[in-house]
Amino acid sequence: MDQLLPAEILEAGQAFPRALAACGDLDSLLRLKGIYVGREASHAARLMELLKVAPKEQKRDLGAAINALKQQWEEGLKHRQAELETAKKSLNALASSWDPALPPPTPAQGALNPLNRLMDRLVEVFRPLGFHVEEGPEVETEAHNFDGLNIPEDHPAKASSDTFYLAVHPELLLRTHTSPVQVRTLLRVAPDLAARGGVRFLAPGRVYRKDEIDPTHSPMFHQVEGMLVGHGIGMQHLKGTLEYALRALFGPHTEIRLRPSYFPFVEPGCEVDVSCPLCGAKGCRVCKGSGWVEILGAGLIHPNVLRYAGIDPDEWSGWAFGMGVERMAMMLSQTPDLRLFFENDQRFLQAMGGLD
Amino acid sequence: MWIERKALAQEIPASAGLDARQLSELLASLGFPVDGAATREGLDTLDVDITANRGDAMSHRGMAREIAAKLEKPLAPLGTPAVTEQSPVVEVRLESAACPIYSTAVLEVGQGTTPQDVQAFLLALEASPKKLPAVDASNELLHRYGHPTHAFDADRIQGAVSIRWAKAGETLVTLDGITRTLTTRDLVIADEAGPIALAGVMGGEGTKVTEATRRVLLESAWFDAKTVRATARRHSLHTDASHRFGRGADPAMATVARDLLVGRLQAWSGAKLVGAWTVGSVPAASDTLVLSASLLARVAGEPLSLAEAAEVLRRLGCVVDLLGDQLSVVSPSWRHDLAIAEDLAEEVLRLRGYEHIPSVLPPLEGPPEPLSAPYLQRQRLSRRLAHLGFHQTVTYGFISPEADAAFVSPENHAEGRILSNPLGQEFSVMRGSLLPSLRSSAEHNFRQGTREVRLFELGPTYASSAKGPLERHTLGVVWGGVLGGEDFLSPARPVREADLCGIAKALGWEGLPEVRVLGEGLFGFEVPVSGLPQAPERIIPAFRPFSRFPSVERDLSLLVNLGQSYEILAMAMKSALPSECLQDLRCVDVFRHKSLPEGRQAWLMRLRFQADRNLLGEEVDGWVSAALAAAEVLGAKLRA
Repeated sequence: MDQLLPAEILEAGQAFPRALAACGDLDSLLRLKGIYVGREASHAARLMELLKVAPKEQKRDLGAAINALKQQWEEGLKHRQAELETAKKSLNALASSWDPALPPPTPAQGALNPLNRLMDRLVEVFRPLGFHVEEGPEVETEAHNFDGLNIPEDHPAKASSDTFYLAVHPELLLRTHTSPVQVRTLLRVAPDLAARGGVRFLAPGRVYRKDEIDPTHSPMFHQVEGMLVGHGIGMQHLKGTLEYALRALFGPHTEIRLRPSYFPFVEPGCEVDVSCPLCGAKGCRVCKGSGWVEILGAGLIHPNVLRYAGIDPDEWSGWAFGMGVERMAMMLSQTPDLRLFFENDQRFLQAMGGLD
Repeated sequence: MWIERKALAQEIPASAGLDARQLSELLASLGFPVDGAATREGLDTLDVDITANRGDAMSHRGMAREIAAKLEKPLAPLGTPAVTEQSPVVEVRLESAACPIYSTAVLEVGQGTTPQDVQAFLLALEASPKKLPAVDASNELLHRYGHPTHAFDADRIQGAVSIRWAKAGETLVTLDGITRTLTTRDLVIADEAGPIALAGVMGGEGTKVTEATRRVLLESAWFDAKTVRATARRHSLHTDASHRFGRGADPAMATVARDLLVGRLQAWSGAKLVGAWTVGSVPAASDTLVLSASLLARVAGEPLSLAEAAEVLRRLGCVVDLLGDQLSVVSPSWRHDLAIAEDLAEEVLRLRGYEHIPSVLPPLEGPPEPLSAPYLQRQRLSRRLAHLGFHQTVTYGFISPEADAAFVSPENHAEGRILSNPLGQEFSVMRGSLLPSLRSSAEHNFRQGTREVRLFELGPTYASSAKGPLERHTLGVVWGGVLGGEDFLSPARPVREADLCGIAKALGWEGLPEVRVLGEGLFGFEVPVSGLPQAPERIIPAFRPFSRFPSVERDLSLLVNLGQSYEILAMAMKSALPSECLQDLRCVDVFRHKSLPEGRQAWLMRLRFQADRNLLGEEVDGWVSAALAAAEVLGAKLRA
């Protein structure tokens, strides 16, 4: 019977099982279906045209041969389709079962700045002693920044080589320390100081000095100022408070050491060292082998500072301290370059600041 | 200041037995921390940090005085040679109160040079010996005893010498070869031809001692500290002499230093004294201070014996009388820093050792103050933003005028915010906006390959006013790059303006913030912190009943014109609905496609109703129709 069929159809018939097996998905199976049994231009369609023009005596046999072939193709296609559909279903089933090893969606994580975190921590440490937070502007008057703090009129810090001044407001400057907040707060609380029972506060903030930017200098940095005014306040209260606070910060075994020093707005004045929190005072690179690290400057408030604010130094006395936030942050974290704190690289902020 | 160990031991023999570490600790406990050590010319030196109030300590003798007082050991005698004063060889006139005493001498110089050990001493202190005895001896005296002196070539002085205020416009070539134009506030040494030295700061080139000098005129005077500081600053001329006079030298040393200088020149080079004399006199001793037992006890933290305190102050050179429960104290001529009773209390504590101060927590005398609402608001805001995935930046308050101008309103003139002495043009204006700084921080992060940048800053911005820049706390937020796509569920997409609006809304900002495009795919906004809600006054708000009946949700797909205002459409729809039953109305999807009629887009509006009863399907249908009708008035159509 085969001799009735054209050679290329016979070849296509022989190639069919392989072509069928080669179809890996339903799309390619659909294309194969079009080639063999499609309505137009398929092998089956060509066979039907052949049947139309065949001599009458051949039509019967030819028809039977064509039907057999078509049936074989259609069954093959149908079978393969069922196979492929089953495979797809099991693939879908596999895909829909969740693999817990896949990275789950996590909420975005931001970070506070490490300098702010350190200042927040200091506020937290002093809160139980009744300290609150006072703030002041960064653009200050010369009076608040210098005069009210017993800083002499011709002090070198006032020079334009050290302090930034405003061009059209020559009496205004960028505060060089957080100490003007002392002056502002004392002026504000002076009228009802007795009713308040003195005052105690921290003043964290940004300050400016005319330093070129390098690994250890920045024209802007942060300070935290602390001040307490009360009756009969002396050096013992400064020492007691700082011992408590620095132990809260660095651990219960921390020791502190006061050394005489000089700042115009305090008398007596001192520098305060802590036993090195990094080596436990055994001696390391940070404490240069001495076991001590300088951490802040402090002293009893100079009577002139109280007088400037209208507070009687014979009745009231107090202490004040000031510390550099970046210095402490660099010491604690061993950050080699101050500029990293102002670069605001997200990797640095994530690693150093983080969140509570 | 460099201190040479051997020279120190000559002044205080007891220091010779201390090793470098013991000596450093001793000095630090007295308030003079040691910053370093070095050995030069075979001599061991320590770099001692001396605070600005202690001009008296800026010499070997000064340090020795401190150590002697602390260790209760004697100082070596000064060994001043006997110099008999005679009538003046040259007329010297004191014409200003800024120079109350001027001791001088004229000598014929001899043949010798500066001794080797003195040259080594100077080299060890990083001073350079000139091998001219008059110059080197003066320098040695300064370091050893802290009193600056000067030697002039006497034959180059014309006529009488006067110590007077300079005349405006007078000039002087100082020893460094620079011509100085003087003002009436500069104190000078002058001869009849004009100024020959800046008093207490630097000598003049024209009268300097050289190898050719045959006769020298010595100057050992005392100059007012403020005058010297002002002149040094005015001429940017900071010298060893101005440093010491500027911090207060000892007037009683004027004649002593002259005698020491004469003695050295005689011994080193066989110089012959022609005549020595002093004009003026040592100013009167400072006022008597009173230190009460109660003040001392208050500062010290415990009662201290006044007799012991008196003993400590005497060791420092004070003249002390114990009168009942107080001390009457006259401080020595070299201690200009002892001005009030607290200074004396400090001295007692300092010599006693700060380690003896007790440690006591201050008693609470009144109720503590709460943290202020604005401070707490900023604390909360920064935490909220960090939890929303943003990173807190810290940037400088000054930026470049160009960057500033791009973000501030024209009425906020930069002029009123400009610094007179900035570090550079790029740091010259107090910023009116946080966005330029945030933009550069964002750009830095993008350059580092960061996919998504989320930054915020809470800091002051400035607005010009007649009184100066007004400061207001501002929140700036920037967000840019690619959002999501880092896990198998969330698709990656670029950050959009609307994302920033969402943040502003989450922080409680009413309405839309002005979102600025800061770069490709980078957006930012800033708002005054005062415009954001503060913590509610009540910790827990008053109870408001809520419905326990189920809510009903309906979606309306509307075709609206491109450019349709969402606010207006939502408002129109809401006004057609019963407010007591409408729980929420929002757009949950926007569809824009060429298959839609030209100029139109599809908004899927979701309406949610709830009441204190079960809602009926028909009444909800009615409301939805009413909302649709209200939308149709604005040109919207139900999407088929």
